[in-house]
Amino acid sequence: MIFTPGASLKKNRMDWVLFIAAMALLAIGTIAILSSVAALPGQTRIVRVQFTAIPLALIAMAAVWSVNYQVYQDQWKFVYGALLVFLAGVLFIGVVDKGARSWYRLPFFSIQPSEFSRVGLILVLANFLDKRMGKIKELRTVLGAFALCVPVFLLLIKQPDFSAILITFPVALIMLFAAGASVFHLSIIVGYAVISALFPVLWTIINLNPELLDNSLVSYFFHLSDSWAGAAVFVAAAAFGFWLLWRLSVQLYANLSGVYFAGAALVLILGFFSGVMVKNQMKDYQQKRLEVFLSPESDPRGAGYNLLQARIAIGSGGILGRGIFSGTQSRLGFVPERHTDFILAVVGEEMGFWGMLLVTGLYALMMRRIMLGARLARDRFGYLVNCGVLGMFLVYFCINFGMLLGLAPVAGVPLPLVSYGGSNLVATMMALGIAESVYARRYALV
Amino acid sequence: MRDSQTSQERLDLLWVLASSAALIFIVRLISLQVIGGSYYRELAEKNRTQVISQTAPRGRIYAADGEAIATSKPSFSLIYFPGQTKPGPELDRMARSLAGPLRADFEDLRRTITRAATRETPVRLAENLPSKVMLSLSELKAVYPGIDIIVEARRYYPFGAYLSHLVGYIGKMDSRDWARLSGDKTYSMDSRLGKAGLEKMYEKELKGKDGGIYLEVDSRGKLNRVLESRKWSPGADIYLTIDSKAQAAAEEGLKKSVSGKGAVVALDPRTGAVLAFASMPDYDPNMFVMSGSEKEGLAAGEVLPEFNVALQGTYPPGSIFKVITSAAILESGRVDPSERVFCPGWYDAGSRIFKCWEKKGHGNVDFIEGLAKSCDVYYYTMGQRAGALAIEKYERAFGLGRPSGISLPDERSGNVFGPSQRADKKSYWFIGDTLNLAIGQGETLVTPMQAADMIAAVANGGVLHRPYYVDRIVRGDGQVMKRSKPEITGEVRLKDSTWALIREGLHSVVDEGTGRAAQIKGAEVYGKTGTAQNPHGKDHAWFVSYATVNGEPSRVAVAVLVEHGEHGASAAAPIAKAVIEAVLRSDLPGKQARPAQGEPPAPSTAAPAGARAQEAT
Repeated sequence: MIFTPGASLKKNRMDWVLFIAAMALLAIGTIAILSSVAALPGQTRIVRVQFTAIPLALIAMAAVWSVNYQVYQDQWKFVYGALLVFLAGVLFIGVVDKGARSWYRLPFFSIQPSEFSRVGLILVLANFLDKRMGKIKELRTVLGAFALCVPVFLLLIKQPDFSAILITFPVALIMLFAAGASVFHLSIIVGYAVISALFPVLWTIINLNPELLDNSLVSYFFHLSDSWAGAAVFVAAAAFGFWLLWRLSVQLYANLSGVYFAGAALVLILGFFSGVMVKNQMKDYQQKRLEVFLSPESDPRGAGYNLLQARIAIGSGGILGRGIFSGTQSRLGFVPERHTDFILAVVGEEMGFWGMLLVTGLYALMMRRIMLGARLARDRFGYLVNCGVLGMFLVYFCINFGMLLGLAPVAGVPLPLVSYGGSNLVATMMALGIAESVYARRYALV
Repeated sequence: MRDSQTSQERLDLLWVLASSAALIFIVRLISLQVIGGSYYRELAEKNRTQVISQTAPRGRIYAADGEAIATSKPSFSLIYFPGQTKPGPELDRMARSLAGPLRADFEDLRRTITRAATRETPVRLAENLPSKVMLSLSELKAVYPGIDIIVEARRYYPFGAYLSHLVGYIGKMDSRDWARLSGDKTYSMDSRLGKAGLEKMYEKELKGKDGGIYLEVDSRGKLNRVLESRKWSPGADIYLTIDSKAQAAAEEGLKKSVSGKGAVVALDPRTGAVLAFASMPDYDPNMFVMSGSEKEGLAAGEVLPEFNVALQGTYPPGSIFKVITSAAILESGRVDPSERVFCPGWYDAGSRIFKCWEKKGHGNVDFIEGLAKSCDVYYYTMGQRAGALAIEKYERAFGLGRPSGISLPDERSGNVFGPSQRADKKSYWFIGDTLNLAIGQGETLVTPMQAADMIAAVANGGVLHRPYYVDRIVRGDGQVMKRSKPEITGEVRLKDSTWALIREGLHSVVDEGTGRAAQIKGAEVYGKTGTAQNPHGKDHAWFVSYATVNGEPSRVAVAVLVEHGEHGASAAAPIAKAVIEAVLRSDLPGKQARPAQGEPPAPSTAAPAGARAQEAT
């Protein structure tokens, strides 16, 4: 398709499809925000911020688009340094809102540095992975990439802003995957993450169904984290089990290296310990969210209430929706966080199935266009940057939709371009600007 | 990066991930919005609306002469609308402060309120509030949101235990009603509905349409606006065929009888309209209105006397059966009514001696005397001559063995006794059975309703009507919804001479025979006494009769059964007389109907249950 004979030789400097899709989502989001804030106390401030953020975001996008993206690779140390300083600074001069010190208060508006740090980190990681292209299959590459992430994560934990980590970690994984990192290494990391999460989930399930404790094995498993002795037994059992499996595979003449078994055992054991850590670190409200996700009926008046109301809102929209500015669920305040994380509930209620289909389709189109940009990128750095932006949208998309539709636990994650949030909007449009910049400077005639 | 094969493949994989996620979300959206749309829409509507429902006044029930038997009275109820307050100490505090003025148990109240708050459904905390309590409650109303006092129409039976077995009563919904009606939007958990009798049978007509105020509230339960205010429309009024004076006479007569138990059914022989329908023991339907559940309305250990003697009590007919035997004898062609039978006080059936109730014997009796004196020996002799099969034929023709068809629940059909019934059971028929059959002993069982139907057929020349008690149903706007028409369920075809002889016999029963207690000045009264043998105690007393005035077609036929009354002549006949007098009061010379009997009983207020218990002993 690139060498289509007779194609126009004039290169299009802007991916209009991507831009228009983003603008359409922004328009839908703005309408939904205007509708949902009707009865909120701070409605004038929210409307003002939204309409200030839109031009700012457009200017930021245009500025980023016009700059050659390769400059970020040249100046990666500056980018990295700036984002660390930006993130660290908020811990000293930031203001606290909703229990997290994550805002810079400026005269007219506030800035949330964690939103911008994600974009910066994508650039830094893209540079790192590009530089290590030759040694991409080595474990050290994967570890190096995470070493770059760790300072950022630590600063985010300090705020604390867990949802930012929840987004950024998978983005890093996607970038590693796109760069061609060893699938074995990646699956160890994913496995470790899954096991770390699995232990608290299993314990929560047992907690919700106490009758399972009648089984002594289940009971033993449930009390694993209570004592060091129990943990030691578990570690020994895991090591022994994998050793046995390894011996068995040798006996069966299966050509499997012992490294795999050792790795698997290590992942299980490390996952167990971080699972215990997660369980002990988990705040009450997070524990509740997990319980509600696993068993929505366990607390219909409490933590399950929000999710249930959001679901009623979406469902009540039906096919055609109840009409813009006519959703009772959102306007009468039954849906919580309706202008931010649960904005889709408003879209679903007022614009119905067609509205939701439009949002889903526009998101898919955006991701498709960013992917096209990655394909056509002039260099490997550009490819990786676009993959990072793609990953970011993909993760937001999956977590926000999944949470709302009851397919994932509730996490405070907005839907970029649709949800309210000035910093998030500007940062998202900057990321789109970078993707546009990569597209504009591509290797192609079309 | 066109040159890297791996990159292309991995990018494609990422796209697969993204598009499959989008696909899953779309599928989920279809199930939520397209398929579940109406379900969630309903939930959303329920979320935002709160209804203050107002029960429509139930239709009134009137006697034929315009006396109101069941009406409605305004009453004040305390209701609680759950708002955003979740179950917890605040609700407990509310329950505690309400428990005092309501004189309710704190724990019960707390449980009710908590359940309402959890289910988010409004609940009535108390009904029929006295005015003293209202004042302190209206103060609490200001303190606790969600508490409100509303005016409703409450069922009221002015005469208390009057016609109770026909009218029935209303009560709170129980779990069985709820299972049946939960889909019906016009009922809610705390609705009242007819539980027995007329109130149950005509629930749909009597109910009316509840009104309500529909409010839009936000998530904190704050009132946003009034969506709609719907006025209730009252239920349809039911006009009965019951004559309130006759009914009062029947109830009073039964109450004053030796046992206080029994039944009176009076019919209009021309149509089958029920003029009086009394069954003792009865109950005061007001007690269920006041308290709610049936258990609460009764004193400890007391059982609701729901047994309807007139429809569900089956008794041997005794001598009143001789009316049927007479028809069989006279129609058989084997008996000359003037033929005399000698009654020595006993009858030799070959293997066994059958006694006449009169030990001394009646001497030589012909048909008229046999019926008037109720001579058993005459009927033994002639019954045997006519044959058991003939008697059974007329037994069935007069409607025995099948329900009369009155629209009241659980009517019993009694039992037909006869050779063909025996044959159906693959058993034998003996000569003794014929003799027992002829005098109404043996296995024959009738209900007072059937007895009334039988004597009405004698009065009108053989027509059996389906008894009915609803004359017409009139909607709130005055339009007549339904008017009952007489319905014929069977006919007894007898020769005119047979009717004449039977009537002559029945007249002489009252004139000079066993039923002299039923004589009425100015009216021709026909009747037959009966004694139903009771192996468990004193015999039951029967009296069936009808009356004519000036030779016009009879307007009233009565069957009276007094349990343990022993003699129909003394226990049952005076009651029948009082009822007939009440029905015919306008046609009788002078002031026949005594004032005490003519007036319905005063509304009973003080412990009707206790009073009844005393009478029963």
